[in-house]
Amino acid sequence: MSLFCIVIRELEEIESMASSKKVITREEWERKLNDVKIRKEDMNKLVMNFLVTEGYVDAAEKFRMESGTEPDIDLATITDRMAVKKAVQCGNVEDAIEKVNDLNPEILDTNPQLFFHLQQQRLIELIRNGKVDEALEFAQEELAPRGEENQSFLEELEKTVALLAFEDFSNCPVGELLDISQRLKTASEVNAAILTSQSHEKDPKLPSLLKMLIWAQNQLDDKAAYPRINDLSTARLEDPAV
Amino acid sequence: MPTSASTHRPEDLLTRLRSANADADAKLKALREVKNQIIGNRTKKLSYIKLGAVPAVVSVIAATADDCSSVLVQSAAAIGSFACGFEAGVQAVLRAGAFPHLLRLLSNSNGKVVDAGARSLRMIYQSKLAPKYDFLQEKNMEFLLSLLNSENENVTGLGASIITHSCETSAEQNALCDAGVLKKLIGLLQGSLSQRDASLESIATVIKSNPEVVSKFVGPENGRALSAVTELTKDRYPRTRLLACMCLIVVRNTSPGCLQDLAIRTKLILILLELLDDPGQVGDEASFALSSLIAEKEDLQKLAFEGNAIDKLCNHLQKGSLQAKRFQGILLALADLCSKLENCRSRFLALQVMNSVIDALTHDSGEVRAAACICLRSVSRSVKNLSAGNFMNETVVIPLVQLLSDTSTSVQVAALGAISNIVVDFTTRKSIFMQCGGVKQLVQLSKSMDPTIRLNSVWGLRNLMFLADNRCKEGIFLELTASLLASLICDPEPSVQVQALGLVCNLVDGCINSVEYVFVEDSIILQAVGKQLQSTLKAEVGIQGMYVLSNVATGNEFHKEAVMHQLFPQAGNSTQPIIIKFLQSNDSRLRTAAVWTVLNLTFPGSLGAYGRFVKLCSAGILSQIKNMANDPCLDVKLRVRTVLGQSLTFDIIHPFLRRPATTWYNPLISVFPFRAVVWLARQMGTDDQVQKSRTMMQPTFLFLVF
Repeated sequence: MSLFCIVIRELEEIESMASSKKVITREEWERKLNDVKIRKEDMNKLVMNFLVTEGYVDAAEKFRMESGTEPDIDLATITDRMAVKKAVQCGNVEDAIEKVNDLNPEILDTNPQLFFHLQQQRLIELIRNGKVDEALEFAQEELAPRGEENQSFLEELEKTVALLAFEDFSNCPVGELLDISQRLKTASEVNAAILTSQSHEKDPKLPSLLKMLIWAQNQLDDKAAYPRINDLSTARLEDPAV
Repeated sequence: MPTSASTHRPEDLLTRLRSANADADAKLKALREVKNQIIGNRTKKLSYIKLGAVPAVVSVIAATADDCSSVLVQSAAAIGSFACGFEAGVQAVLRAGAFPHLLRLLSNSNGKVVDAGARSLRMIYQSKLAPKYDFLQEKNMEFLLSLLNSENENVTGLGASIITHSCETSAEQNALCDAGVLKKLIGLLQGSLSQRDASLESIATVIKSNPEVVSKFVGPENGRALSAVTELTKDRYPRTRLLACMCLIVVRNTSPGCLQDLAIRTKLILILLELLDDPGQVGDEASFALSSLIAEKEDLQKLAFEGNAIDKLCNHLQKGSLQAKRFQGILLALADLCSKLENCRSRFLALQVMNSVIDALTHDSGEVRAAACICLRSVSRSVKNLSAGNFMNETVVIPLVQLLSDTSTSVQVAALGAISNIVVDFTTRKSIFMQCGGVKQLVQLSKSMDPTIRLNSVWGLRNLMFLADNRCKEGIFLELTASLLASLICDPEPSVQVQALGLVCNLVDGCINSVEYVFVEDSIILQAVGKQLQSTLKAEVGIQGMYVLSNVATGNEFHKEAVMHQLFPQAGNSTQPIIIKFLQSNDSRLRTAAVWTVLNLTFPGSLGAYGRFVKLCSAGILSQIKNMANDPCLDVKLRVRTVLGQSLTFDIIHPFLRRPATTWYNPLISVFPFRAVVWLARQMGTDDQVQKSRTMMQPTFLFLVF
């Protein structure tokens, strides 16, 4: 975060100066870094936000005890949310739906798109397991009425049912519906909806901060040579290329 | 898998719920299953309601002790889901008497039970069917404040929903404000996402159309609340952005003095246009919010036009396969945009989206059909395109005429509005409208019991009659009949009378034979006009009636004398003639119409002109006109001078009056290009488009060249 502040400040400074590329030495850069004071609690909050949003409940619990940072959400709800997410990822969609409804019955009642996607995932799982009759019955009973309510649902439904026409899914043009990525997509949609219902942001703050850092560095690249961070996992400062 | 039909059969589930000797566990399981079946599934909700599931669930909740929290939670959740976004469900829930039981849950010691109860009550309060909450009772206000002060998010949300649902009158708004509710709601803007959204909606309800409360909202602490709401228009959640915009729109519409800043207004428009792209409910509602922002406000329409609103809305139309609500909203927003500004209409027509609008005329949803008509009405105010006959073609007219027999009154009225404009056609294509049975339909509707339908259908006929050729007129008149027209002139509604008189004005316009129409069946129409003029209290009726007489007075000697008879019905009676009252009116339009009549009656060149002149003099009308030589209204002044000029010819050239009429042909007056004047007036545009453009669609005065 401090780095980000510096990059921005440096950008502003250079903006007002001449057009020639400025060189900033490592010492200078580090001195500037040290000048920026960031409260430890804020950093901890950022970490906690990440752990909570991503659902690392044990880590969050430990971190809370060690750092004294209070999560902005009841940790028990994370366990519930992760259970839902996991159920979808394992293909137990019905189980996931019941869990969401126990958590907050409003989520699926007020979010037709999410509800449809979960039901669609249920259909996909039935097809995957070769339960053709059951799949057809389910599509007719549960999904067809949703298709009547919404044109785009109907299109998606048609695409999903098309899976039944193929013996070998690898030849099927809509075969990607059976990919694990489809489960992950549905799971993350549910995860986001639950977070929103808990008045929590659906994305952690840390990744967007890192994105901003990359953006700012790219901007600064045009104007100055400075110790850059290339590897985000180690955050090592590279020597400026002169 | 437990999806097999037998265990999930609704009938079996309900039997388990109802059976008295089932243990708590079995009931709990059945409740949970019902809940999971119906959530998100309208069809299932309906079939369960038909089977009587709601009373069954309510009787479980009624018989459950406060400490059986899981049964309470499950049954409250099921009831809430029945009521969620589904009017039939709300009705069933209310009828089953669920309300007091849910209220009871709010004081439960278990937070989850309180959550479930508050959620379900909130669902009910989101429906129009929910009982109205009486804020003016002190106990109720205390309870509401206790809800808003709760630590539980669902409970504060419930408090806000109650306000949004029930606060209607300004007395209630003031009471809420005085009790500190507004302040509390402003405080909740700093709360969680759901609290923010709920309080934005409630604030809009509490301040709507109440300048006093708006000032209490905007004023204190340097407008802290207002800037908090403004800040929320940039929130990351689309729903929050929309609600914040709607709140600001209410502020602006209630107290136009607030939000003077051009930047904020432009920003509001841009945010709403961006929100249109949201695929869900927010996108559906954004167009309605845009409408409420720009409706009737030309400055904002201009800003929206500059923000490319027409293109953006039309893009959505072109995408096709729109949900009914969204389709309706977009059409209505386009209607508002095109209601005043010609450049908006031109842009709309240039984008070639007429086909989508025409498709919408036959949409399944009545609301979409009505919206399409309203959109067409706005666009067809473009005189440029009207005069080019751009709307008078089968693809537009046939579906519109079909809508005249729509089952919904609002669709009929909207279709009449569009038709009224489209039939003002300057080319010779009115026959298209007549060939597809339009006249028959309009005449049929002019006999409707509904005054709005009657008004709009007569309006349509009046505009259809405008500049119609003789064959056209004859066709309309045959269908309409003299007796129906006479009864419309005497309609109980003054607004219908005005349109019927306007219709007659257009009927007698044109060639001299047209004047004969008012004399058929023992002059039944002219008699009706005279009768209305003698008795009316409305200026508008007087104006139209005088123009009828004025037009008839351009006819032959017999016609002119008939007009004299209407002006002085009781010969020798000492009461003041009605025309004097009109000449003295404060309404300059009425004075103009009255002077025109005198002008036509005394136009030198016809044999009886002098006789009529003398009669008008002795009735004191000429001396009244002399007093008006410096009338503040230029139009009146000009006509008065013409009359006085004419009277001068009587004084001077009296001996020569027997010379042939053509001698007195006055090119200045007789070729007076009245149509050009009407035309120009229309080109200049008006504030109140529907009203005025239509009023001007008829020739208000007429000279026959002879």
